[in-house]
Amino acid sequence: MSTKITIDPITRIEGHLRIDVEVENYAVSNAWASCTMWRGIETILRGRDPRDAWMFTQRFCGVCTTVHAMASVRAVEDALKLPVPANANYIRNMILIAHALHDHIVHFYQLSALDWVDILQIPKADPAAASKLAETISPWTRNSRNELKAAQDKVKAVAASGQLGIFQNGYWGHPAMRLSPEVNLLAFTHYVQALEYQRKALQVVGMLGGKTPHIQNLVVGGVANAIDLDSQSALGMDKLEQIRVLLAEVAQFIREVYLVDVCAVAAMYPEWFKIGSGVTNYLAVPDLPLDSNAGSYDLPGGVIMQGNIGGVQPFKTASDAIFRESVTEDVTHAYYEGEKPLHPWQGETEPQFTGWDGEKKYSWVKSPRYKGQPMQVGPLAQVLVGYAQGHQLTKKYADLALGQVSAIAKVNATPALMHSTLGRHAARAIRAAMLAELADKHWQLLVDNIAKGDLTVHNQPVFPFGEVEGVGTHEAPRGTLSHWIVIKGGKIKNYQAVVPSTWNASPRDENGAHGPYEASLLHTPLARPEEPLEVLRTIHSFDPCMACACHTFDPSGRQIARVKVL
Amino acid sequence: MKITIGGIGSVLLGDDGVGPFVAGILDSGYCFGESVTVADLGTPGLDLVAHLSGIDALILIDSVKNDALPGTVTLYRKDDILRHGPAPVRMDPHSPALSESLLIAELAGEGPKDILLIGVTGEQYEVGAELSVAAKQAASQAVDQVLLELDRLGISYWKSRKKPYSAWWSPLAEAHPASDPRPNTLPVLTAV
Repeated sequence: MSTKITIDPITRIEGHLRIDVEVENYAVSNAWASCTMWRGIETILRGRDPRDAWMFTQRFCGVCTTVHAMASVRAVEDALKLPVPANANYIRNMILIAHALHDHIVHFYQLSALDWVDILQIPKADPAAASKLAETISPWTRNSRNELKAAQDKVKAVAASGQLGIFQNGYWGHPAMRLSPEVNLLAFTHYVQALEYQRKALQVVGMLGGKTPHIQNLVVGGVANAIDLDSQSALGMDKLEQIRVLLAEVAQFIREVYLVDVCAVAAMYPEWFKIGSGVTNYLAVPDLPLDSNAGSYDLPGGVIMQGNIGGVQPFKTASDAIFRESVTEDVTHAYYEGEKPLHPWQGETEPQFTGWDGEKKYSWVKSPRYKGQPMQVGPLAQVLVGYAQGHQLTKKYADLALGQVSAIAKVNATPALMHSTLGRHAARAIRAAMLAELADKHWQLLVDNIAKGDLTVHNQPVFPFGEVEGVGTHEAPRGTLSHWIVIKGGKIKNYQAVVPSTWNASPRDENGAHGPYEASLLHTPLARPEEPLEVLRTIHSFDPCMACACHTFDPSGRQIARVKVL
Repeated sequence: MKITIGGIGSVLLGDDGVGPFVAGILDSGYCFGESVTVADLGTPGLDLVAHLSGIDALILIDSVKNDALPGTVTLYRKDDILRHGPAPVRMDPHSPALSESLLIAELAGEGPKDILLIGVTGEQYEVGAELSVAAKQAASQAVDQVLLELDRLGISYWKSRKKPYSAWWSPLAEAHPASDPRPNTLPVLTAV
């Protein structure tokens, strides 16, 4: 006998997502993901100057703001075959790295940790024992007994007041929560410390981008930052040194706290390496370009099909011909008109809202497909694609993390375990550690280049009368992002964005193939179907960011959300 | 005393852009001292926490879904915002980010003591639409409320003689690459 559960909306994500699952014998037997996506960007951009597009696209979402700006200028640069000066690439890369570090820290601590950490166990913890445990697994100097006790006191105060505030409505005491009170305390202490370090990362974005959210320093052809070593208001050594220090502090937190915590939590929930695999086709694009003509990158990209890591197909550039040709969007189960899958350059968005029907149309998100196949995108895709190609930096941190998990859990953790919910969390931490190291490298590359006397930051774009097409890609914190532009006579003719969460949240396609969220939920065991914590764990591991709908504040606190069990 | 004045909302969705619009008016029409930051915060998620930490007072301008007539300006204080806790689930992508961000900042002991949210009831939220007349009128009132709050907090400001502000995202605005170092309104074409 099967039960149908609807969770609407999913909490602690950006945007609106509804998940329906069928449960038989305490395990998920079928799943549907239904959500919103940004519609109508082409309405706003048609006829506009392509040099302005990024200012609009970055307003899709303040969480992912820099990524849409970057993909947009790259799309125009691709259409024009316009190279970007080295300094501009290094500055853009540092912004992207800082933004990703901020994002990954917030995702693990503020958005995911409460799936695995039971706050109400914390008052029972022994701060001295927790400190001792922490200091055996990390050199971090802020795991002292006093610091942990102060964090514990915060939780006690919140619990005593009866106003759980941010901790309201968690699944405290759920049977699937298994950390000891001491590890819960440690994780919570780091949750609070994480706020400082995510702020430092954002400061770097703001210093290079002019402001955050919604940076201001990009132009088609480069960046607008003036480099002048003798000026305090331009980008000079003063500012660059401040940036270097901030990035180093964040890097230390990533290595000594974030990566350690993810490995520790993973080791204590080892069964979650066998849950949540879903679609094992992976897609990632190369990023962090090292030269003007964009032929060499610090983050590798490529495609893995059916979990066959040995059969990885690498990408040489950020927009290889095979990538440009292979992406389509299917609308069979989405609220749009359309008979067959369309390539983004021919993309249309004619709504056809029918109401939720699990057999027919049930989501506002289209189904992006690569050569007709659903693909999982995100840090896991990027790490597996890199590991498969023998990319040194990827191997360094992946092996380190797997070794850490093996030591704590007393198992042999191999890359095969990464096709899972915990694999996604681990990959995000691995990626963050890689980026933390690359931050310093790209800072040095910029400084060395300036020292040679090169202060160029911008190449002037020139637009043809005729029609040109371009695609700008970016390996964003949540996965492969692509902006597809058609320009005619110097004005925008068409514009489509295929965002990473669309790949992952996609509904079934014309062949009935599930998207990654849906597939990953199949066979997940639920201890208490009416408290579907396990569903949240897997969905959160993807770091969903649905394109935002309206942003109005509703002061009545109306609870229209519910978990409905039929 | 450190103060942040923030405009929140999506400039791509009609009247939802009223927050950033007011931030633009304040930024271009007034001068504030070092202790005041005027920010167009767009549509933040939990990164909003970073903007709320370590300040003494927060003034936000945002579109509001209440039962008032379009163009109404309503003032909300800290208790009004936090009354219902973080929505147990997200009703819409924005308001919980505000409540949750405030609660997280409070938990860390870094939240602002004074909070004023100036809410503008919007008329329409159409993709790519201009701000409605009602929203623009409300924007002027919102600016007045910001200045009144600064008076209450004892913070000085003065009017500056910059050009009147117009929304760069408006469909009727002239195309201009806002940060292009060679300001030139027309794209350069080749003769092919």
